[in-house]
Amino acid sequence: MATQVMERRVNRNEIFIALREYGIYFALALLVLGFSIASPRFHTANNFVLVLLQVSVTGIISIGMLFVVLSAGIDLSVGSTLAVAGMISGVYAQKDPTPINIIIALAIPLVIGLVCGIFNGALVAWAKVPALIVTLGTLYAYRGFVVWYRVNPIYDLQPWYRIIGQNSIGPIPIPVVVFFLVTLLASIILNYTRFGRYIYAVGGNEAAARAAGINVSMVKLGVYTISGLLCGLAGLVFTSRLGAAQAISGQGYELIAIASVVVGGASLFGGRGTVSKTIVGALIIQVLQSGLVMLNVPSPIQQIIIGMIIIAAVGLDNVLRKNP
Amino acid sequence: MQPWAVMPSPQDTRIDSTRLANDWDKDKSMEEKSPLIHMQGIAKRFGGILAVNHVDLDIYPGEVHGLVGENGAGKSTLMRVLSGFYPDYEGQILIHDQLVHIESPRQAMGLGIALVHQELSLVPELTVAENIFLGREHPSPIPGLIGKKAAEDQARQILAEVEAGISPKAKVRYLSIAKQQLVEIAKGVSMQSKVLILDEPTSSLTAPEIKDLFMIIRTLRERGTAIVYISHKLSEVFEIADQITVLRDGVKVETRPVENWDETSLVKAMVGRELASFFSNTHAYDPKEVALEARHLTRLPYIRDVSLKVYKGEVLGIYGLVGAGRTELAEALVGLVPSDAGEILMDGHPVKIRSPLDAIAQEIALVPEDRRVLGLVNCLDVKGNLSLPVLYRLSRLGFVKRREEVELAQKSVQSLEIRVSALKSLVTSLSGGNQQKVVLGKWLNANPRVLILDDPTRGIDVGAKAEIRAIIDRLAGEGRAIILISSELPEIIGMSDRILVMRMGQIVGEFPRHQCTDEALGACAAGITMNHNSHPLGAGQLSAMGSRAGADA
Repeated sequence: MATQVMERRVNRNEIFIALREYGIYFALALLVLGFSIASPRFHTANNFVLVLLQVSVTGIISIGMLFVVLSAGIDLSVGSTLAVAGMISGVYAQKDPTPINIIIALAIPLVIGLVCGIFNGALVAWAKVPALIVTLGTLYAYRGFVVWYRVNPIYDLQPWYRIIGQNSIGPIPIPVVVFFLVTLLASIILNYTRFGRYIYAVGGNEAAARAAGINVSMVKLGVYTISGLLCGLAGLVFTSRLGAAQAISGQGYELIAIASVVVGGASLFGGRGTVSKTIVGALIIQVLQSGLVMLNVPSPIQQIIIGMIIIAAVGLDNVLRKNP
Repeated sequence: MQPWAVMPSPQDTRIDSTRLANDWDKDKSMEEKSPLIHMQGIAKRFGGILAVNHVDLDIYPGEVHGLVGENGAGKSTLMRVLSGFYPDYEGQILIHDQLVHIESPRQAMGLGIALVHQELSLVPELTVAENIFLGREHPSPIPGLIGKKAAEDQARQILAEVEAGISPKAKVRYLSIAKQQLVEIAKGVSMQSKVLILDEPTSSLTAPEIKDLFMIIRTLRERGTAIVYISHKLSEVFEIADQITVLRDGVKVETRPVENWDETSLVKAMVGRELASFFSNTHAYDPKEVALEARHLTRLPYIRDVSLKVYKGEVLGIYGLVGAGRTELAEALVGLVPSDAGEILMDGHPVKIRSPLDAIAQEIALVPEDRRVLGLVNCLDVKGNLSLPVLYRLSRLGFVKRREEVELAQKSVQSLEIRVSALKSLVTSLSGGNQQKVVLGKWLNANPRVLILDDPTRGIDVGAKAEIRAIIDRLAGEGRAIILISSELPEIIGMSDRILVMRMGQIVGEFPRHQCTDEALGACAAGITMNHNSHPLGAGQLSAMGSRAGADA
């Protein structure tokens, strides 16, 4: 009797641990399966590629957000940064395709993202303004700048520029390839480099990290810079894919990115989260959106469902975490 | 056999005094005065630890009852039981001979028991009156609103009673700590409390403020309020208390009226415990080369003009009560909070230590007081924690050399006998003792020449304590300079080659090994000059040391 109870308890624990570690992958698989059954159009190879293409821009931003969230910070300015980078890139993509213009059009979004990120990071790390406030401020400021700079969209982008967003390598669209490379690089940084370890340490226990001789301010600057840089990259991909540079690009992306990160099991208090789960989080949200559209669910209802699922996912994660 | 283990024990005198106290208790019970509160066999566990061990205590109206004991003796815990913070206590509480089980602070307040917290519990943005009546707001003539005027009037009256001289309309955040304390007391008075518990009320007060506080306490006593006065400042307890109860390690030593105590007997009762045999001090002690010297280190208001030397291969003990500045001194030495003035020398050369990074470069390491705050990163595994301070040595081009990291972690686990299931286990899954070993191992990996340990055995089980002490002994044997900070007297005495005593941010005494008793150390830390010569070395040595340490600095 007693041993049976013990065994059952052990089994229960194992299930809990498995759910906690891999539950999110099950959830994604279930969603895909569910939509595949519900809509025949869903489980076509074309549609899977489309979902990946759609997730690539917000996915790149989510990876940047993960870096910031791991350090116990937050970056609300991602959508605005994307718009600034995309717009100025578009200005040069409109010009004659001289080598200099091409280089500028490709490089400037990254530089702009970098600068926007450094600005955020410096204020958080050295001026000690709370990250929420700093990036809320720059969410407004960067958006304000881009609207002031060019309120009308630029549509006449050079054909070469559209290649990045609209062409494919084999069956895989280039944005998906870029997203994959970013993912790979982020995984390497977080798992194999000293900087990656320091991010977890700062997010997990800032005081202990400082006591261990870690330059906490530099780590913080680093994560916001990475987030900014990735927003710049996302701006390039986004503008190219859309074939237009718009001042209103990327609105609300900060919320999608945060949602992806937390659905992926990261803690907003820092120190917990992985790249692979963040991608799954982003995919869950994208699959939901695409699937609900295919099922002709009205847009407001879609939003209600997605919102509830975000809460449920994080709530469930917390419950599983408390039950060891 | 270690010589300090056979020092004259206070045992004999205590038997006498216990009998004395019992006799006195009988006398008391013959009078008609009955206790307001009768606590019987009160016990409170935190996990497996018995913080309060079956204590009996009577509190009488119109009396100030001093409750003294070392840090962790269970004073605050006992009073928090009485104030309803720990409803899961064992034992019985009788109020006016009525048996009650106190479930919540609210219920305790209803029964007339008010606790003035060690850390104040006022809402800074509210006014004095609003704080006094927080949770018991006066209704206004308009339903649903709060009667501001009525509250202010009543608050003004109460504040006048305690002669506080504070406007009820003042915002609490603009008041001094002393005034805030008075607001807390006024709050207690406003509830018509029969028992007012003051937990270390003077820890942040100046001398004139203490005087005012005592006047108010006396006024309340005359009105029949019972006051429990928790303190480790013995001089204050002698000044204000009618009864003094001593707790030690959760056990009540005894209660006596203040006239039947003197400072010597009180200190003895507080610290006089058997020295356990599990202290290691086997390393050869030959102080020749100074490893670290601090000169005139100052960071107001925590440390003032602290000068010290620690030699290679020496365990230098630093003893003091909580708040004496020990931790702040350690933090200054490793640059966590750099000092405002003074200098630090390593091997005789002045060095600048403005950040933990500087300290690591100078091979000075601190094993911090609370491993959860400054020691461990919970989200990293055992390996990640062990390698954290030396990761820069273990990486090339920014990439962590994983094999070397694993090797380093394995070495730490073996040499410190850290019991873990895997190097990948999260540190939170470890026992307290093993967590502490991880913190120790992490800093040993930085290969420090000077290792500062701030209360390294606090909150871990007895076996792990002994192991950590043996490691400390071994490290000193390897020629490292060890600074051991502890509030456990037996540990300090058992482990150290030399002991410094801190009080109010200064070093007030220096005791060589073999020449100190725990009474002398305890008295020195509490700021009492022993007037008896029960221990010839104690009193004489102490005053001599005290003045010499001052001159040295």
